Amino acid sequence: MKNILDRNQNKAGEIRELMRENKVCMINLISSPGAGKTTLLERLCEKLAGRYRTGVIEGDVTTDRDARRLQRFNIPIVVINTGGGCHLDSHSISKALTHFDLKNLDILFVENVGNLICPTSFDLGESFRLAVVSTTEGDDKPAKYPMIFRQAKALVLNKTDLIPYTNFNIESFRNDLKKLNASLPLFKVSATKGDGINEFARWLEEQIINS
Amino acid sequence: MHELAIAENLVNIVKDVAAGEKLSKVTKVTVCFGKMVQVVPDLFETAFRAAVADTVAGDAELDIEVLPLKIRCNTCNTVTGPEDYCFVCSACGSSDIEIESGRELYVKSIEGE
Repeated sequence: MKNILDRNQNKAGEIRELMRENKVCMINLISSPGAGKTTLLERLCEKLAGRYRTGVIEGDVTTDRDARRLQRFNIPIVVINTGGGCHLDSHSISKALTHFDLKNLDILFVENVGNLICPTSFDLGESFRLAVVSTTEGDDKPAKYPMIFRQAKALVLNKTDLIPYTNFNIESFRNDLKKLNASLPLFKVSATKGDGINEFARWLEEQIINS
Repeated sequence: MHELAIAENLVNIVKDVAAGEKLSKVTKVTVCFGKMVQVVPDLFETAFRAAVADTVAGDAELDIEVLPLKIRCNTCNTVTGPEDYCFVCSACGSSDIEIESGRELYVKSIEGE
């Protein structure tokens, strides 16, 4: 019995080894479109990019708009346009990595294509995955898309400042999460307002140091 | 729509196996998908047909087995098959579990002549 995604898995294994040799912590961010991955990255770059040599791979179906939002940090950014593809795979990451000076990098954020299902099947060779969901998507995302909530090392709940304007029920959200993955750390943030960012950035820094 | 990417990977494997085994025709391909992978069988069939056209497996029958979710409790060792995605042991209530089945994505068999 052969894993259908063997080829992807093998390349991901090579990338993981390469990252280990160069002591780079690679973080794969997975969310639906519009959950706020790029805004979260902007906040994280403000906190971390001055102290850690940070790079970003921006995965998008088309456009370099997300990358342009991060240009002000003066960090290496490589855009992967999938041209319709709904996820990144390890071969596209491997090509993107040739544009980075890995010896001079501590953190590499990979912003996956916005999608809660497809990216979960494709190992990129990352150190770990982060899931991001936003309150405006509704509180039922964990129940509907279980895989990512089992795989992620932490979950960021974004747009908490908008809860009063939505029917998002935090109790119901927590109950679903408890059934799915009781030990998953949950960080409640508003990436636009900055709420909760310090706590999350501190946690992330610990993971980077220990990775 | 990860179905297309998975189907393309599958067809590459089928072509490699057919070449290695010197098959002139692949008649049947059986794949197993865990429930959590959320592959939609009908979409996968369509994606497979598109990817496999004009290959040695162009007329092959595709059999898709969806494997249920099974979890093993690390506390009491009971194996259960929750209907929904509840990763809590129904025998003792522990959340310290391992997924035994439900994440599969593999080729079970390739038949040909």
